Amino acid sequence: MAKSETMVNIPTSRFTGLLRRYREFSLIARDPVLFMSLLFSGIFITVFVVVPLFRTISGGFFNAEGAFDLTYFGRYFDDYFGPGMRRAFFDTMTMGLLAATGGSLVGFIFAYALVRCRIPGQKVIHWLALLPTVSPPFALSLAMILLFGRNGVITRRVLGITYVQGMNDIYGMDGLVIVQTITFFSVSYLILRAMLERLNPAMEEAAASLGASRFHIFFTITLPLLIPGIAGSFLLLFVESLADLGNPLFIAGNRTVLSAQIFLAVIGEYDYQKASALSLVLIIPTLVIFLVQRYYVNRRAYISVTGKPSGSQVVEKSPVIRWGFNIVAYLICGFIIMLYATIIYGSFSSAWGVDFTPTLRHWQMTVTRGVEAILDTTFLSALATPFAAILGMVVAWLVVRKNFSGKEVLDFTSNLGGAVPGTILGIGFVMTFNKPSIALAIGVYGLLALFFAQVVGKNARERLIILALATAAGVGLAQVPSITIYTVIGLLYFVLAGILAGTKQGRTRVIIAAVIGIYVMSNNWAGAITAPIATLSRSMERGFWSNAIFQLSDHIKVLIQPPPSLLAIALVFAGILLTLGIRHRGLRVGSGVIALLIPCTLSFMEVPFSLVGGAYIILAAYMVRSLPASVRAGVASLQQIDPSIEEASNILGADAQYTFRKVTLPLILPALLSGLIFSFTRHMTSLSAIIFLVSARWRIVAASILSEWEQGGVSIASAYSTVIIILVLAAIGILSLVTNRVFRGRGGVDLSIGL
Amino acid sequence: MYLSLKNISKIFPPRGGVSEVTAVNEVSLEIERGELVTLLGPSGCGKTTTLRMIAGFEFPTTGQIILDGVEINEQPPHKREMSMVFQSYAIFPHLNVNENIAYGLNVRHLPRPEITERVNRVLDLVHLDGYGDRAPNQLSGGQQQRVALARALVMEPKVLLMDEPLSNLDAKLREEMRTEIRRIQKTLNITSVYVTHDQIEAMTLSDKIVVMNEGIIEQIGTPTEIYQYPKSRFVAGFIGRANFIGGKVLNQNHNQMTAEIFGQVITLSGLQNTFSPGQRITLIVRPEMIDIYKSGGGFPGIIRRAVYLGNVIEYEVEIGGELVTAAETDPTKMVLYPEGETVTVNFSETTIQVLPANG
Repeated sequence: MAKSETMVNIPTSRFTGLLRRYREFSLIARDPVLFMSLLFSGIFITVFVVVPLFRTISGGFFNAEGAFDLTYFGRYFDDYFGPGMRRAFFDTMTMGLLAATGGSLVGFIFAYALVRCRIPGQKVIHWLALLPTVSPPFALSLAMILLFGRNGVITRRVLGITYVQGMNDIYGMDGLVIVQTITFFSVSYLILRAMLERLNPAMEEAAASLGASRFHIFFTITLPLLIPGIAGSFLLLFVESLADLGNPLFIAGNRTVLSAQIFLAVIGEYDYQKASALSLVLIIPTLVIFLVQRYYVNRRAYISVTGKPSGSQVVEKSPVIRWGFNIVAYLICGFIIMLYATIIYGSFSSAWGVDFTPTLRHWQMTVTRGVEAILDTTFLSALATPFAAILGMVVAWLVVRKNFSGKEVLDFTSNLGGAVPGTILGIGFVMTFNKPSIALAIGVYGLLALFFAQVVGKNARERLIILALATAAGVGLAQVPSITIYTVIGLLYFVLAGILAGTKQGRTRVIIAAVIGIYVMSNNWAGAITAPIATLSRSMERGFWSNAIFQLSDHIKVLIQPPPSLLAIALVFAGILLTLGIRHRGLRVGSGVIALLIPCTLSFMEVPFSLVGGAYIILAAYMVRSLPASVRAGVASLQQIDPSIEEASNILGADAQYTFRKVTLPLILPALLSGLIFSFTRHMTSLSAIIFLVSARWRIVAASILSEWEQGGVSIASAYSTVIIILVLAAIGILSLVTNRVFRGRGGVDLSIGL
Repeated sequence: MYLSLKNISKIFPPRGGVSEVTAVNEVSLEIERGELVTLLGPSGCGKTTTLRMIAGFEFPTTGQIILDGVEINEQPPHKREMSMVFQSYAIFPHLNVNENIAYGLNVRHLPRPEITERVNRVLDLVHLDGYGDRAPNQLSGGQQQRVALARALVMEPKVLLMDEPLSNLDAKLREEMRTEIRRIQKTLNITSVYVTHDQIEAMTLSDKIVVMNEGIIEQIGTPTEIYQYPKSRFVAGFIGRANFIGGKVLNQNHNQMTAEIFGQVITLSGLQNTFSPGQRITLIVRPEMIDIYKSGGGFPGIIRRAVYLGNVIEYEVEIGGELVTAAETDPTKMVLYPEGETVTVNFSETTIQVLPANG
């Protein structure tokens, strides 16, 4: 057709590609809230995932003086370090393979028993299978050692084995693999269960009607259909096992694996170059598997796990097979119960292995000396939870519903932070935020300022004025000592409120500006607010309450004294919402300059992004770790909602932000709630990502367990583990209760989102 | 013109291994105030993309959309003051009927009493009074359809857009809703654009039908024009059924023509196009324009297949080696010729359309 030929005339060169991208972004920018959420997600992921990972990876190639140096890679090939290094590498891979095999096998047994063998006590078995996901990192190793160690109850007391030098004990590869199998099989169970449930029975019935025997059907139909699920769970467990730090530290004995090597390089030698180099060795197999999983296995799946389970299920008829599966599942459940009972009883026994009489001594220690760590962990975990879950929903929404260049990148990087081993991320955090380069601050501020000027200014001249004036004044103001600066900034917000009162933008904006002003000023009053609390705690008898109340003052300070560079990011967005759409030109430019100069000041005062040692770096690490699960929950839930529901809201006059609040969010609320549960659990039980970030002021239970263990405080370590388990279970209980109230039978929270 | 599309094209950029797709190609269309215009065509013809560009869910790559004198090319949907009825209804599942209908009015921050009043009025209009407190999952398909319509109507939109709104209903309900939509649209005099692939729907509803195929407009016209004077083979084949019979022009005098088909000369009248003598042409002959007689003047043919459908008898007749479909609708002539019978075939020559052979 002649017509179509004229159409194809539009050249598709690289230039028009760029032009199209620019046009695309300028179209998104018309909806400032949409663009803000995109920008915020992008900045968060860049600053807290991409930059730290880059620092870790590149760190191995440069020595302390900054010169290019391959020493630590060379060690794999020399004769002195080589054998040890290579052995550690092969041990790591062996551990991964064995744990993945064991975990997938156990997961399959549980899935098959629950879906097809009508195992009596389904509910209980299901929850027992999920129990390992909510326990703190060392708990199972600890229990194994208490039971089967050199002084273990079963080895020593029941079997009467006395340890002699050279005997095979629980420490080493065998113990490690058993513990990891139990720790990680839950994931495999959930994946395979979902697959089995969605396997259409008609396929197996069809095979049976064609005359195939049961075994033939299993090996030619059932198993091949499950292969993607089995492969997926195998790869996932392999990566989890490689990333695991807690268990190898406890139970690997004289074997060394990469994650522990990295840990020791940082904690023992304080050698970040070595740690980085080892991290690169560890990250390569992890990333390869992550990519294979994401772009190969998932696309090969025959059964889509997003749909609903098919109505009927094939039930195993042969009693031998049925009870074979059931009995193995029961035995493993018994083992799990035994492990957890050991942890709990361990916290009450006077001296494990010697004197088993119950005592409350360890608990007394835990709730007095340990209350700081417990409260800090809970507070930080809880504070990070809503942010992680909501950010996850926003990213999911952008990824599923919006079209923009770089969407794949956002999707990929948002998953990356949870996929890489935590140790690697932790090292990256320390390297990035200990002595941060000013380039980071300039980059973030520059991006935000450009966006601010673009949205608030009406033409090129206005934009230039806002940018230049605000940046100059802001950088200048940043030199003022920080005590007065918060007062100055607070007052500036009152000026802004005054200007806004002069526009026709309504009273809400004036009030919000004033409230922000008071909030910023309160930074200086933190001492005055928290002093009475601290005094009160000191006046009390030393013990649980005095420690707990003292922590409260610390926690209040976290809320009102965020690091200036992070506060700046939030205030740029607040500034946009406050100054958007002012009609009068002078007022528009004036308020724009004020609203931008404040974050500019904050961006460049003190040492920007110097976060190590504070609470916010731990919060960020938590969020990065739990973000992928929230994103996946959100994606799965959004994919089931007809996009035209959002379009309907849109064409009825609602913009993106109104639509998200009033339509999308209520519909994905179940996903949001399971995101909350999962995030909180992950925060409470995480170890590897934050072990390098804890400080004297901010302690984390997992780190306390490790140090207690090193000092031989087995019972206190057990008590800490018990506390974590109880807190997590309580949180899950409360959230499920809320969910059931809210949804009354509209389908509960799906815990399988951790996949 | 109230709403005009001027040379609208939509090219979807290559993404994820799929190469560039031209979904809509240089489409121009004028819609008057109060008119109901149907975009009709097979799936993938660009009709939905065109509608989504009018709505603002997609922006045209080139061309202009003008609403009431203002270019709205890249205006986001929520500023266009249009409303849309979706194929899936897209009812908000977490809101009841009243809340669904009031949604857009709430966005506009109208006073509460006015919202209640308008919601009740529109519920009345779609015969759903008393259903306001129902949850969407307590409604039947037809009722959900009415809620979706009410939610769009209550906004008193500048343009009402409908994307295959009836395709999820069963046949009987579809017929009922068809007349219902037309009645409401006429009463409120709402400018409407209606997308469908169902020709009967298009014929019964529209002031004007736009037939689309592969991203371009094949023909624009009233239902009568489209059926009686199809401008292309595609239109003739898509709307109703048609036989395409090849022939050659012998002579044309204004709107009268003599042509040769199946080796015989016939005279055609009422022509709209001009052809030169000797040109190859295609005749569009609808099955019901063909009469079959036992004997007499006409083209000799053999009955190859005969199907009795009650109100009509369908034949496949072989004429000069070609199969032609004929439909006998005249109840007085309801004699069933057996397969293999030799007959004579006559075309009612005044209603035949003529296109150039490659059209």
